[in-house]
Amino acid sequence: MALLRFDNFDPVSGLLTLQSELDRALRSPEFNLGLSGPGAYPPINIFESDDTLMLIAEAPGLELTDLKISSAGRTVTISSARRPLKMAGDTHGYHRRERAQGEFTRSMHLPEQFDLARAEAKYEKGMLIVCVPKREEAKPRQINVQSN
Amino acid sequence: MAAQEMETRAKQEVQHQDKSREQTRPGRYFLPEVDIFESEEGLRLWADMPGVDEKDVEVTLKNGMLTIEGVVSLDMYRNLFPVYTEYNVGNYYRQFVVNEDIDNARIGARIRNGVLEVSLPKAEAARPRRIEVKAG
Repeated sequence: MALLRFDNFDPVSGLLTLQSELDRALRSPEFNLGLSGPGAYPPINIFESDDTLMLIAEAPGLELTDLKISSAGRTVTISSARRPLKMAGDTHGYHRRERAQGEFTRSMHLPEQFDLARAEAKYEKGMLIVCVPKREEAKPRQINVQSN
Repeated sequence: MAAQEMETRAKQEVQHQDKSREQTRPGRYFLPEVDIFESEEGLRLWADMPGVDEKDVEVTLKNGMLTIEGVVSLDMYRNLFPVYTEYNVGNYYRQFVVNEDIDNARIGARIRNGVLEVSLPKAEAARPRRIEVKAG
């Protein structure tokens, strides 16, 4: 006979369970402490040129009216939503539903030398591109050498 | 209950069973995520292909095999140096076997904001028809 021993408390597995429960709770949107790095939506690549920092997020299918980008200090925040498709007369329904949907907000904290006040953004081909210019003093510059 | 936070799934690279089958164009190919919906009129497919515009996408239906392919332009990355990356940039390719009888002449496709939308109307013969039942 298999006996379930209810009185045998295991402190280690109890703690591990508590930890994973806490992780899950802290990631829920109420705590506003979700994933901040890889795995968060949308995925972001960051590139640099001589005078600009370019953040490129792959977020296809957004409507411009839903797209909000804001900056505060050195932090830039993008938020929007991927709306579910509204299908009429769904007698057969979906064969596949793989595309992510829902609302999202993502923030990035940028280094000091980039001037968010002069940032520009565009949305094209499903990619959100934010260009942040470098501050003048941070740009590479040629220093003249003088001789006597 | 709170909504589930959106997460990003890593792109899946296209794996050919047949290793001798290679693309002529260089570059990596990834599987786009799709939604496929069937109604009485036909099938509709949406595929996420960020970075692809209308001149670089190809949709073909041949012998019951639907192929979608999108090529990403890398021009915008010229003179840029990557400092942090979370996703791979590459082309898109995916095939589906379509069992329904599709009216080839009326297939439509468009791409908007990186989402390819393909409509595959069913041939007249394959559409459900209501048959009137008479009394008597």
